[in-house]
Amino acid sequence: MSPQHLARRSALAATIALGLVIPLAACSAPASDDQQYETWDEVVAAAQGQTVKLWMYGGDEQGNAYVNDVLVPAAAELGVTLEQVPIADTPDALNRILSEVQAGETDGEVDLVWVNGNNFGTGKEAGAWECGWTEMLPNMALTDPADPLLLDDFGTPVDGCEVPWHKAQFTFVYNSETVADVPSSLEELLDWARANPGRFTYPAPPDFTGSVFVREVLYSVSGGYENVPLAFSQEAFDELTPALYAELQDLEPSLWRGGETYPQDSNELNQLFADGEVDFTMTYGPATLTQLVADGTYPAGTKVLTLDEGTVGNASFLGLASTSGSKAGAMVVANLSLSAEQQAAKAQPDVWGQFTVLDLDQLSDEQRALFDALPSSPVVPAYDVLSENANPELAAAWVTPIDEGWRQLVLAQ
Amino acid sequence: MGHADRRGLAPAGARAVGPSTIVAIDSLTPGARAAGSRRWVSVALVAPAVAIAGFVVLGGIGMSLVQSLGLLPLVGVPSLSLDAYLANGDELLTGLGLSLGIATASTVLSCVIGLTAAVVITQGRITGRLVAALSALTIPVPHLIGAAAVGLLISDAGVLPRMLGIDGTDWPDLVGGPWWVAVVLEYTWKESAFVALVVAGVLASRVARYDETAALLGASRARRLRHVVIPLATPAVIVSAIIIFVYTFGSYEVAWLLGRPYPEPLPVLAFRLFDAISLTSRPEAAAVAVITTAVSLVVVALGMALLRRTPLWR
Repeated sequence: MSPQHLARRSALAATIALGLVIPLAACSAPASDDQQYETWDEVVAAAQGQTVKLWMYGGDEQGNAYVNDVLVPAAAELGVTLEQVPIADTPDALNRILSEVQAGETDGEVDLVWVNGNNFGTGKEAGAWECGWTEMLPNMALTDPADPLLLDDFGTPVDGCEVPWHKAQFTFVYNSETVADVPSSLEELLDWARANPGRFTYPAPPDFTGSVFVREVLYSVSGGYENVPLAFSQEAFDELTPALYAELQDLEPSLWRGGETYPQDSNELNQLFADGEVDFTMTYGPATLTQLVADGTYPAGTKVLTLDEGTVGNASFLGLASTSGSKAGAMVVANLSLSAEQQAAKAQPDVWGQFTVLDLDQLSDEQRALFDALPSSPVVPAYDVLSENANPELAAAWVTPIDEGWRQLVLAQ
Repeated sequence: MGHADRRGLAPAGARAVGPSTIVAIDSLTPGARAAGSRRWVSVALVAPAVAIAGFVVLGGIGMSLVQSLGLLPLVGVPSLSLDAYLANGDELLTGLGLSLGIATASTVLSCVIGLTAAVVITQGRITGRLVAALSALTIPVPHLIGAAAVGLLISDAGVLPRMLGIDGTDWPDLVGGPWWVAVVLEYTWKESAFVALVVAGVLASRVARYDETAALLGASRARRLRHVVIPLATPAVIVSAIIIFVYTFGSYEVAWLLGRPYPEPLPVLAFRLFDAISLTSRPEAAAVAVITTAVSLVVVALGMALLRRTPLWR
């Protein structure tokens, strides 16, 4: 290649590079909130007058009502305007942040995100989250620093990139009026499905709920979660998943519509359950069941199915977008959401019924009394009953290959 | 300067002054300079719209192309590759077939029903007005609302099976079934109204005189339909068909709401990949979008070629 050629080519490369860099630089407007805070008082002072956008799944009316009727007014008292941005699915928020990271935005549309699992893990890998800010929050002292659910999020270390919001327990739900012989393990549940064709199905992964159901089956066919290494490795995947897919293929003809198709998401499965087309549904948020039975959406005989081997439990979090322009305000809201008052209000079954992330032993008597006053539900057992033998979540790296394998080997067959 | 003035200027012998004659006179009379500057003004007037449309369309497609070729990864080093196109080869092909099938079925049905409705409308009787009103009412309903309504109406536990007292298990799988019936139905309902109004507009302005002339010359209804109405409507039908095909081929929400998880039409596949939580799937989504765009462009080109061959074009 001649020197002229080379020179011309590098000039071209430089022009392209400049063309890419200039818009990026132009995007870094001064409106950002990128400074490091030393003390909590500085954060509170900087937060005054900031507007914080909380992106969260908007398909749960109780969740929307809690945020808008309880959390937003409490944030306003602290001088922060909180706005809920309801979204169809959490990846929408992550995608928005990733686009903003790509564009070099520093005063982005997303401040806080209700997140966990692989959304968190992928986002952390791509620099979507602000990290190392949670230890500054005074209310973090109310949580148990050794609680494994709060240290790792689907195998990804939390590293102060997100603050815990509530705990969840994956739960099977059945209609006791139509299910006579109640299964007590996942294996029995699948046998029940084979014995009652068309009365059971699960949402198609990558739906969140369908995805965890498939992982529960993986635990079951592997003889318990102890036999599945939580960290992903291709060898473990190749060794363990053939039994999983074989089981699900075998189950398929007994499912709703003969397994020819699946509900596209958990809402569709819940609808089938509400319409009486199937006898089981499943959810990560069992606390909402009380209300659904009370208002007649679900049949009166709706009951929670507890399995001998336990089910998957996890915590969900509030992540702070690295492209946020209101970080101080977002930290104030995160701290507020961890307060005993907010956590207890959120745990009320008629408010949202989400299980608290606080460690009751760390609370003052006054704070503990808030939780002791919570009513018990006729449908849903208490969290300590539900979370008995709780299984850990697999690392986020497992989730995509399992879902992809399911699409290819079960759905597409 | 209206056509009437020109007609007044024309020699008395040239009685049948058609549009082509007027154009001929037009290009002869005014000074060439005036025409040149007028052209300049029109270019200047249209430039902002072209610039915005160009920025959005070319910019969007360009970004998709760049992403699909691996030049804009979320993490890692950009490198030119076709990996994104090959990663979902099978799903891409089945998706392409399915999308083409849905778009073809919707387009053909919409055109047949829409043309029939247009003929009824131009008859000008009470039924015609009723059909025109129904079509006009259908147009403003967004597809998303239409899809939700169709779903509520004809799904397993929908309004229709409940009203007819048919159990969900005995009801055919219209929503989420293997033949995508509900999806095609929704498109057909909305788009046939579109065809009806467009074609009725064309027929109303042109067909009456020719139709009456043919009737006076003794042509039967069927012959008038075949030799007068349909040829006059053909260009409008072709244009509508292109629009409908490209729309239904690239539309997401109806196919997602009323479809099933597998196989996926191209737009649903693209959106799932775009939303998937793996960092490599964005280029794959862009690749699906590029292919969808390319197929749409080919269809537009074919349709325009067909349009040029109709006798009424020119």
